[in-house]
Amino acid sequence: MLALGAIGAIVAYAGATGGRLAPLADGAGTLGLALLTVAIVLRLPAVVPWAIIVTAGGYLAGREGRALVDGWAAVVGVLLLLAAELALWSIDHDDRIRAERSLTVRRVVTLTALTAAALLVNFGLLGAAAVAAPAGFVLATAGIAAAVTAVAVVLRLARA
Amino acid sequence: MTRSATPKLAGYAGLSGVGLLTALVFVRPEVVALTAPFLLALAAGLALATPPKLAAGAGVERERAIEGDEVGGHVVVSSSTPVDRLDLYLRLPDGVELVDGTHPVALRLAAGESRRLDFTLRAAHWGAYVIGPLYLRARDPLGFLVWEQTAATRSDVRVYPREEVLQRIVQPRETQVSSGNEVSRRKGEGIEFADVRPWAAGDPLNRINWRASARGGELWVNESHPERNTDVIFFVDSFAEARRGREGTLDLTVRATSALADAYVGRRDRVGLISFGGILRWLAPGAGTVQLYRMVDALLDTEVILSHYWREIDVIPRRTLPPNALVIALSPLLDPRSVGALLDLHARGHDLAVFDVSPVPFTARPQGKLDAIAYDIWILRHDALRHRLQRAGIAVAEWNDDAPLQAAVEEVRAFRRYARHARV
Repeated sequence: MLALGAIGAIVAYAGATGGRLAPLADGAGTLGLALLTVAIVLRLPAVVPWAIIVTAGGYLAGREGRALVDGWAAVVGVLLLLAAELALWSIDHDDRIRAERSLTVRRVVTLTALTAAALLVNFGLLGAAAVAAPAGFVLATAGIAAAVTAVAVVLRLARA
Repeated sequence: MTRSATPKLAGYAGLSGVGLLTALVFVRPEVVALTAPFLLALAAGLALATPPKLAAGAGVERERAIEGDEVGGHVVVSSSTPVDRLDLYLRLPDGVELVDGTHPVALRLAAGESRRLDFTLRAAHWGAYVIGPLYLRARDPLGFLVWEQTAATRSDVRVYPREEVLQRIVQPRETQVSSGNEVSRRKGEGIEFADVRPWAAGDPLNRINWRASARGGELWVNESHPERNTDVIFFVDSFAEARRGREGTLDLTVRATSALADAYVGRRDRVGLISFGGILRWLAPGAGTVQLYRMVDALLDTEVILSHYWREIDVIPRRTLPPNALVIALSPLLDPRSVGALLDLHARGHDLAVFDVSPVPFTARPQGKLDAIAYDIWILRHDALRHRLQRAGIAVAEWNDDAPLQAAVEEVRAFRRYARHARV
């Protein structure tokens, strides 16, 4: 339900911005919502990325024709990740397996940490993109990729 | 241990790739913002993934149980590396149920931690069971990779059928030479009075019947029947069975055989087994508790194996069917090969008694008119088969789970008593 709520929030936001391709954005958002519902109900993890792509496509369609970078894209990206994670968690969940309570707590903590880190990275990215000229876009992307890699290396070292 | 990627890994990698490509093509920072969280999750997940080093084992408290008994068991698992989620699944065979304990279970192990999980199993049905193997599945913190391992741990549990205690058993016509509880028809040293005869040189004085001697004017001595043991061979028909759900004629056959064997062994008789079916199995006659355990162990492995081979009793080893042995056949009388074998045994002079383990309770009367007629014909043919055996002079009693086995035993005893009188 939370996953569907996250996707629903994105669809609502995309619809509220009312761009040139607003009907397309609404349709894609609704389709994404439907795909995610199907994925959860029928336990099809392979469908989840398609639901995310369609929903993200709907959001981008809603942004069509706007030159300014949307600051809320950072939140939208995190919501997409949250929706995917929650949906996959729901699909993975098996009532027959009795999971210890600490497992659930740890997963919630992990998910919270992940979304917080993703939000920080996204804000960093959008901040860099706002400062940099369009010519420096590739450079900014490479910088974000380097930041992500650095986080991964730090985590790996911490784990070891 | 095998490592595999979950669909999540492919999905996130695909999303990241498509997102970054789209961002480069359309030069939109928002696309990167939508993609970056997935890229971050992917990088963090793979960075945190550590191959687990697990050691696991499972066991049960005891290897033998009686139907309905509860048996304790445990699973021990340890890891030298941290495992964020470990799923444990111990395969339980049909006939063994989990009564208490968590199973399957998901847990978390810190580096160097060891966990013991206790559970209680109930032996719901007789049989020889293997508990296990134990399957382990470990995941990385974000669920991108899965490591699966099967612990090479298997525990055997033999569940013996719960037996009915029999008050009386089918008595054989002939006895063997060893001492036992059965009063022999022959005359010799014993307790049971048989007859009187004139004294002969060598007769002990304490056997002189003084009253008869006083009346007859010469010495008469008492004769008695000696107490001897018997050989009882159980002929289990495993050609075919009627089954509904978890119960079938073979289950009843095994229970009845076990109860009868227990009763005979208690009388110091020798018991043996012939499992006559798709696979011929036998157990040479023997006496004592050890033999009873051998019998029941052999019964636990009895199963119906489909075969079209026309088997005759010639294939049975000679020492398995000793002379003067009582052969107790337990059969649903479904396969003509087993019926033919029974008639053959009788024709060869073996003392034979048949328990017809009725297949009728395991079959439902069909709804359709034609099917119902066919069903009635089948039942009539089954009855006719039983009567055919009875006409041949074989004691046959129909038995099903609704009636106590003792009733069937009494029916066989009554028939054999009547048959003996008829022959005289």
